[in-house]
Amino acid sequence: MIILKNLTKIYRGIKVVDNLNLQIPQGTIFGFIGPNGAGKTTTIRMMTGVLRPTEGSISIDGLDIAKEPSQAKRIIGFIPDRPFLYEKLSGTEFLRFKAGLYGMRGTGLDEDIFDLLNLFELSNWADELIESYSHGMKQRLIIASALIHKPKVIIVDEPMVALDPRGAKLVKELFKERARKGTTVFMSTHTLALAQELCQQIAIVDKGRIVASGTSKDLEEQAGVMGDLERIFLAITGGLASA
Amino acid sequence: MNIFRLLITPRVVAFKNNLKGPGGGRRVKILTLAVVGILFWLVLFFLFYRVLAYFSSQEMIGDVLARQLLTMVLLIFFFLLIFSHIVTALSNLYLSQDLELFHASPATLTEIFLSRSFYTAIDSSWMLIVFGLPVMMAYGVVYHASLAYYLSLIYVSLPLMIIAASLGILVIMVLVRFFPAQRARDIIFFLSLVVIICLYFLFRFLRPERLVNPDSFVSIAQYLGALKAPDSPYLPSQWATDLLWTRLTRYPGSQLLNHLLLWSTAFALVVIDIWMAGLIYFRGFSKAQEAKRRTHVGRKILEKTVSVLTRPLRPETTSLIAKDVRTFFRDNSQWSQLLLLGALVVVYLYNFSVLPLERSPIKSVYLQNALSFLNIGLAGFVISALSARFIFPAVSAEGNAFWIILSSPLSARRFLWSKYFAYLIPMLILAEVLIIYTNYLLRVTVFMMVLSSATIFLLVFGIVALGVGLGAIFPNFKHENIAQVATSFGGMIYMISSSVFIALVIVLEAGPVYTILSAQFRGEAVTHVQWVWIMASFILVIVLLIVAVKKPMAAGLKSLSRYEG
Repeated sequence: MIILKNLTKIYRGIKVVDNLNLQIPQGTIFGFIGPNGAGKTTTIRMMTGVLRPTEGSISIDGLDIAKEPSQAKRIIGFIPDRPFLYEKLSGTEFLRFKAGLYGMRGTGLDEDIFDLLNLFELSNWADELIESYSHGMKQRLIIASALIHKPKVIIVDEPMVALDPRGAKLVKELFKERARKGTTVFMSTHTLALAQELCQQIAIVDKGRIVASGTSKDLEEQAGVMGDLERIFLAITGGLASA
Repeated sequence: MNIFRLLITPRVVAFKNNLKGPGGGRRVKILTLAVVGILFWLVLFFLFYRVLAYFSSQEMIGDVLARQLLTMVLLIFFFLLIFSHIVTALSNLYLSQDLELFHASPATLTEIFLSRSFYTAIDSSWMLIVFGLPVMMAYGVVYHASLAYYLSLIYVSLPLMIIAASLGILVIMVLVRFFPAQRARDIIFFLSLVVIICLYFLFRFLRPERLVNPDSFVSIAQYLGALKAPDSPYLPSQWATDLLWTRLTRYPGSQLLNHLLLWSTAFALVVIDIWMAGLIYFRGFSKAQEAKRRTHVGRKILEKTVSVLTRPLRPETTSLIAKDVRTFFRDNSQWSQLLLLGALVVVYLYNFSVLPLERSPIKSVYLQNALSFLNIGLAGFVISALSARFIFPAVSAEGNAFWIILSSPLSARRFLWSKYFAYLIPMLILAEVLIIYTNYLLRVTVFMMVLSSATIFLLVFGIVALGVGLGAIFPNFKHENIAQVATSFGGMIYMISSSVFIALVIVLEAGPVYTILSAQFRGEAVTHVQWVWIMASFILVIVLLIVAVKKPMAAGLKSLSRYEG
């Protein structure tokens, strides 16, 4: 379960995230959508311990990320929107490095790495330096690395960036399957069709505040608009008149 | 021309915004850099002033020496300019991220080429010109030069800079025509390192200190011959030397030919560059944009070494160290600097092996022990300089991938201390090798051997902590080239702090060491009061060491914990 309580982030006097409150049950795929600059990435960076909140708290499976950062991070798998990696490592070495950071080693690890590389169709490139990978391959490697320690919570910023249709389908199926097994997926995305297809719950955030949240049906009621998520989103964020 | 102006606008505006930028921190930074720059400028000026004033007081050879020095300075200046242009042109013409935007714009190839060459010329020349100026000013002051000399500095350095820029750009265009830009960068880097090392060895093994001792030459002609730097009538730096020397000494001869040579060569090379750019620049740029080739990982020795060395450690620490070692040895610009390190160590040790101790007027045993004591400081500075290059950038070396560390369960404390211990061990080994071997060459007493080995051992703990800690206080995760980190503001602060730390330890130990050695040589006993003072000094050294380790590491940890990207 993920709980965000009064989460606030102020950057140079500007409230980027403003008193955010959320409660996401275990095994849910949660969509976090909003216009550019709404505070989605900042929220995600706070949830993964990359940024410190100005106020409020974040609890991941009962662990406060500020008070018990190491334990909380141990159960999170983070997939950022930009695939910055250690370019001078090979795919296999990167996965082994990432597993090491989570305290993993031993013979079972090699098998897990092999399976993940296979799953993400990177086996042929396993021993090549990451610097020679394409953007999409790097994104696949990052997703694989986020799963290496079998996280209870997956936090993902724009999951489909740079992925080809095959990769996108693979990731969608993977999230669904993990959620069925009890993993919570927190996903920020601009692809509204993806959010509509995958997410059981959605929050729309604008100017750092949650302006609507709930199931698709709840959102329709709050927006006073029937139909697809795009219409609801535009109605709530004020873009429907111009659309 | 309008497009050209537009193309150089981003750099001009960024420069202005940087100056205007908010925050007291930036102002402090600019002020500190300005103060250090001015100090360096003044030191250089007075150094050359003293040397030239001394030369001018020597009747027969004074002018010969001053002119030779000018020839050498301009020759080095000219070649440094060419080299600097080669390095900068590679980035500005082929590798910069904003080039895609420029090439996709309606600007012509010549306009893009000229605007990027303009960037290159500014980036490569400003520092050399700023720091070349005190040398030229010292000449002007010593020779009571007229206004014409100072004006000629402008119209001589301008064509010299254009010639160097055009040659540097030409070299890089031809190089990239045959090698991909990334390979060309490695080749340039490697070649320049080899050249530097060769020059260093050549200079050292020629033993220039012999030149201050004319007794070792049979005749004055031979002495003057030995003084002569290589010069050539075909080198632009020689034309510039002739021109400036005439202005300095008010020699009545005409310098029209040298004027014409400088300016016509500059213009001709610009035309040749534009013509060559039309032929080969875009092809090279296009090749630089192609995806990198598949690069298979070479393993075996490296893998085995890493796995054996890190086996007893926790998986988090093992992962981090293994990653750092692999990254270091796969990055050509990193590992190849070990060659430079090797050269530095060889020359350092060689210098001690050729010291003419037996010919010294001072009693050899005093000199040996005094040198051994000073050698602690020298070795400390060598370790400190190496740390500035390898350890200070260690945190920044994580680069854009630092999010992986931040979002992992690895605490900032463990991250920082892992870096500390990973660098501490090799530095301790290197420092002890330097000290023990030089002490062996100096044939010092057992007391000095123990004292200097122990002191350098302790110093390294502080030097490494300062490097890692300050590296975390001044991180730059968005660098394009890790070498920039070492030469940044933080790097400068590190060098100053580290030097002060070494100097303080040496000062604290100097008195007690002198007292103990004097008593030994005179066969007297050290008094009780002296023992108290000696103990107090050594305790202070230990306190200083603890501060030097704890403070920067704690401050680095605090800064890293607050890091917000």
